[in-house]
Amino acid sequence: MSSMGLALAIIGAACAALFAGIGSAKGVGLVGESAAGVVSVDPNKFSKVLILQLLPGTQGLYGLLTSILILRKIGILGGTAIDLTVAQGLMFLGAALPIAVVGLFSGIAQGRAAAAAVGITAKKPEHNGKGIIIAAMVEFYAILALLVSILIINNISV
Amino acid sequence: MSATEYASAVAAVKAMESGLLTHSDIDQLIGTSALSDMRTLLDSKLSFPKTMEEVWGLLTSYAPGNETLKILLYRNDFHNLKAVLKSKLSGREVSGCCVSPSNVNYSEIDAAFTSKDYDTLPAYMREAADDAYELATRTLDGQLSDSIIDKAALAAMQKSADDLGNDFMKRFAVLTTVCADIKTAYRCSLMQKPRHFLERAICGSSELDREFLIWAALSGTDGLLRQLEATPYNEAVKLLRESPAQFEKWCDDIIVEHAESARMQAFGVEPLAAYYIAKEAELKNLRILTVCKECGTDRDTITERMRKLYV
Repeated sequence: MSSMGLALAIIGAACAALFAGIGSAKGVGLVGESAAGVVSVDPNKFSKVLILQLLPGTQGLYGLLTSILILRKIGILGGTAIDLTVAQGLMFLGAALPIAVVGLFSGIAQGRAAAAAVGITAKKPEHNGKGIIIAAMVEFYAILALLVSILIINNISV
Repeated sequence: MSATEYASAVAAVKAMESGLLTHSDIDQLIGTSALSDMRTLLDSKLSFPKTMEEVWGLLTSYAPGNETLKILLYRNDFHNLKAVLKSKLSGREVSGCCVSPSNVNYSEIDAAFTSKDYDTLPAYMREAADDAYELATRTLDGQLSDSIIDKAALAAMQKSADDLGNDFMKRFAVLTTVCADIKTAYRCSLMQKPRHFLERAICGSSELDREFLIWAALSGTDGLLRQLEATPYNEAVKLLRESPAQFEKWCDDIIVEHAESARMQAFGVEPLAAYYIAKEAELKNLRILTVCKECGTDRDTITERMRKLYV
């Protein structure tokens, strides 16, 4: 039973890194396509579009952070894995879900918003900041999900 | 198709849009005292791409083989069909009369007419090429064969846009057809063309019914304009009453206004098509401007003739 609990917790840690990472990869890739389009016409706008491309990358970092917190809490990173019940394992899996799911979808959504904001930079580079703000609004929901994941992880007693 | 297709192409096109001539640029060009001054100023303002061939080359490099964009060139294809047909009948050189960019090279059209094998042409041109050649050689009525080809171009645009299900191109095809049909009906009513000519010349669309236009054109110019005033295009008809040149301008402007609907889109093929339309309008403005300067037209008249700008 203890190995099952541990396995569930590890699956949770993997999900956090996996799905949030996929969301970020898709988002960053999409903005990268748009950014490449702009830079192909005007290479001077590289630094401005680069900021927009970085924005959807944060979800992957949040997923990684959640993963590390789970792995540390269950002792995997410390070198000695703790015996977990199935209920505890499920709790860690549940704790990973907010950032895994929200990270996936918000990464993609932020990628779309940032790719559209690249259009602002392309046409009116002086309004680049507005494009960044528009794309950054999506970040709020990824941060909420990260907070929930951290709160749950910290309150699981092992 | 993905909801985020052509992200790179759209971003590149938006960057290029900032190079389109603005109202202030056009005002400065109009304000130049001599044609040479205008050309010097234009050289400093006009950015790449400078010709429609260059625009098309860029768009097809961003969206290779895109069928939706090809609809934009149908008018050029059918123009070339008319030019090649006339050269065949007159024995004159065709190359100077053809326009580019086009989906079909004029030499391919020439070869199709020579061999009478129209299967080498795109499906949307085959029937029109066969009909127009047969009619032109039988009746030697160049006007009628031209009308058949013009009508086929409009019908092909509408059909391809419907088949592809692209709303932007559907509207583009309908607006182009409406403008062309009103012009054809007006000219036919002035020349008192018979019904059989109108039936072969007017295409019709979901906005203006073909039978309605034929019937209205047969009732004479006044009758036609009165009937059209009861349609959503009454403002355009008022302009047509005042001056056909103003109506021509309205036709160009309404297409650019339609293109503006794609300006807010971040993805998809529509902003690419809109850029093509915008560049076409810009180059048309420059042609008008050059001719006006050559003729010594006054500033107010030039300003009045300038087409709507996309930017």
